[in-house]
Amino acid sequence: MPYATRPSRQSDYNLFDSSCPIVIDNGCFNFRIGWTGESDPRITFRNMVQRPRHKATGETVTIVGDHDPALMKYFDCTRSSHRSAFDGNVVYQFEIMEYILDYGFERMGADGSQVDHPILITECVCNPVQSRSKLAELLFEGYGVPSVAFGVDAVFSYKYNQQLGVCDKDGLAICSGLNTSHIIPFVNGEPVFEACCRTNIGGYHVTDYLKQLLSLKYPNHMSNITWEKVEDLKMEHCYVALDYASEVRLFQKGAKEAEEKNRCWQLPWIPPPAEEPPSEEEIARKAAIKEKQGQRLREMAAAKRSSRITELENELQGLEFLLHQLENVQENDVPSFLSETGYISKLEIESAVVRVTQSLKKAKREQVEIEEKMDPSMTEKYTLINIPDNMLSPEQLKEKRKQLFIKTTSEGRQRAKQKRFEEELDRERQNELDEKKRLGKRLKVNGTHTNESHNSSGGVGRGERLNAAQKERMRLLTTAAFDRGKGEDTFGTRDEDWQLYKLMSKDIDDDDEGQDEDEAELARVTSRLQDIDPTFVAKSEIGPFQTIVEIPRFRPLTKEDFQIILGVERFRCPEILFQPNMIGIDQAGMDEMAGISIRRLPLKGNSVEERITNSILMTGGSCLFPGMGERLEAGIRKIRPFESPIRVVRASDPVLDAWRGAAAFAAAVPFSEQTFSRQDYYEKGEDWLRRYNLRYTF
Amino acid sequence: MEAEVLEANILLPTHLSFKRIQMSEKYPKGHARGRHWKHLKQILQAENYQIYSSNEPNYVNIESPPSMYPSKKFCDITGFEAPYIDPRTNLRYANTDVFKCIRSLPNEYVQRYLALRNAAVVLK
Repeated sequence: MPYATRPSRQSDYNLFDSSCPIVIDNGCFNFRIGWTGESDPRITFRNMVQRPRHKATGETVTIVGDHDPALMKYFDCTRSSHRSAFDGNVVYQFEIMEYILDYGFERMGADGSQVDHPILITECVCNPVQSRSKLAELLFEGYGVPSVAFGVDAVFSYKYNQQLGVCDKDGLAICSGLNTSHIIPFVNGEPVFEACCRTNIGGYHVTDYLKQLLSLKYPNHMSNITWEKVEDLKMEHCYVALDYASEVRLFQKGAKEAEEKNRCWQLPWIPPPAEEPPSEEEIARKAAIKEKQGQRLREMAAAKRSSRITELENELQGLEFLLHQLENVQENDVPSFLSETGYISKLEIESAVVRVTQSLKKAKREQVEIEEKMDPSMTEKYTLINIPDNMLSPEQLKEKRKQLFIKTTSEGRQRAKQKRFEEELDRERQNELDEKKRLGKRLKVNGTHTNESHNSSGGVGRGERLNAAQKERMRLLTTAAFDRGKGEDTFGTRDEDWQLYKLMSKDIDDDDEGQDEDEAELARVTSRLQDIDPTFVAKSEIGPFQTIVEIPRFRPLTKEDFQIILGVERFRCPEILFQPNMIGIDQAGMDEMAGISIRRLPLKGNSVEERITNSILMTGGSCLFPGMGERLEAGIRKIRPFESPIRVVRASDPVLDAWRGAAAFAAAVPFSEQTFSRQDYYEKGEDWLRRYNLRYTF
Repeated sequence: MEAEVLEANILLPTHLSFKRIQMSEKYPKGHARGRHWKHLKQILQAENYQIYSSNEPNYVNIESPPSMYPSKKFCDITGFEAPYIDPRTNLRYANTDVFKCIRSLPNEYVQRYLALRNAAVVLK
């Protein structure tokens, strides 16, 4: 519900005489307050209070009624949600009631030292005296009200419509509110409370039911299904079916009318941007970039390698030069000479030479290998091999020898690699063969066993009831059961102790045992079938208990995934007013209540009953559902004798008529005789208050 | 207070001239108060209705009796008429499609569906 605009503070409070009563319709849903004699209440707001903490200042503030939820960002609402003063339809939290009255009077413009007007306030039928006296006390003590009167909202509504000529002086008021529904019969214009009837079901339950159903149907959109939104949907789309069973059958068949009755709520949804497949050009460009990067990396690596080689070569040269110089130095001067170079002995220098030559070799080999890899046609590498020796110069001969050496070593390496690979293949083949042999053996064994009592879990010999695992479990259990009082209890000091429970737990074997039996039976039947019909092929059928869980394939979300469809829910939810059993409340529905109410009437006589059913008035917010009147008429017709006159009418305004009736009532002259003052309240006591009842006809 | 909040005029003033006792005096700040109200059940118990004549209407005896009609069974999921009950989940269902659906429901959802008609398992 888009929050109602905040009512503005009235400025004409002081223009009203202090004898002019203030009329309050204290409904569970809305609180309405206004002046007697006017056609509409001045102030209307949701009958609820929220007490959040202001974030900036830290003080707790009071917000009465509906408000813009956008403003709640300034408040900390974690500890306080909307609170109502009602439990069922009875006021029970008077602190909240006080806030609500405060706000009501403040908006009315009250600014004196007290609220100096008589008050007419509505209450539920047969309000418990405790609630009534507390409310009276609050009005007297808190606001200094001179006098108070209590009346029933549904009765005011009926009386108002009687004045308008909508209904007769004998009749039935059907009032369905937020938390409860009432049926009140009227005889000679006075309500007969002895015969009235209440079912604890109302608009709140309808909204709640709808909310639950929708959030169960659309678990993905739970956050969108708020109470306010669902309330909105209920008011806009719900209707009462004339006959629930036939209406629902329509939907079950998927008839066209049913489809037309579906309502769809589209949640905000933005289509994801469509992804285009990359063009040829793009692919080529990307490949080129990749290639370039690879080339650059390779170049960098090569440069690094060559720089390392030159570095090592330089070092080697330096070392050799050092050794050469060392030979010229006198034996005694060696240490002093070496101290400058950082080496301790000649030996160390020699070892360094060896190390450097080795790493140089390695680096060069690496380079060679890389080059080998880079161009597999290595023939031009060994250019000199195939040329006879006598055609070569001594330098070339040296080169040739080197090439020969490199070639043979690399070939040897290749051969070794090949051999290793082949060996591996051989081993694998051997393994496979072994496995096959073993499997064949097992198959043979199983084949001989299939006709006997076969148990694939194995381990249970003839005459034994339990297999090894079960026996072990039993042993553990028995030891655990009898292992008491032997020394001190050290169980649990070691971690392994807890493994015991794993072994003991039943579900290791218990579950699949039955399945094994089933499987054995299945194997038996299959083999038997194959004997009879050699073409029979065992087909693994999926039973209802083994539903294959399909892996949900990724599917882009579409507009339809963000739709909430109201189909059967449209009339399923209001149906609980007629069949409270649907939500587990074991009470009569609205149509049946009318019959109960008529049965409870103290003075019988057909003419009275006929007159009553001829003027049935629907009032209260939950009577706004379309189709309500027709359904009530059909339902009441079922329980009344053949050809009884039945007329069901809707109040001129089911929501506001209670306040208007009360305002009209308070405007009549004898009203002041029916109020009671603070003095009356304290002198006459609770028992008097219990019997206090308004006379609605003058 | 933010200007936006003040402008929206949603806060109840803390001091109201027409009140005998201001709320802040009645319920002083920082005073932990226990639950000072009775729930409807407790109110009704305190009313002691049984000592009065049963002909007199009161909050309890005007309540409707259980329905005389045989209660109809409806599918918990779809709202259709339900000829079947699933023995495992105790959900009522209308046809095989719904049955497939309820068998794939997680237990939490089953319990929530049952709670809708007050039939869920309540652990105390």
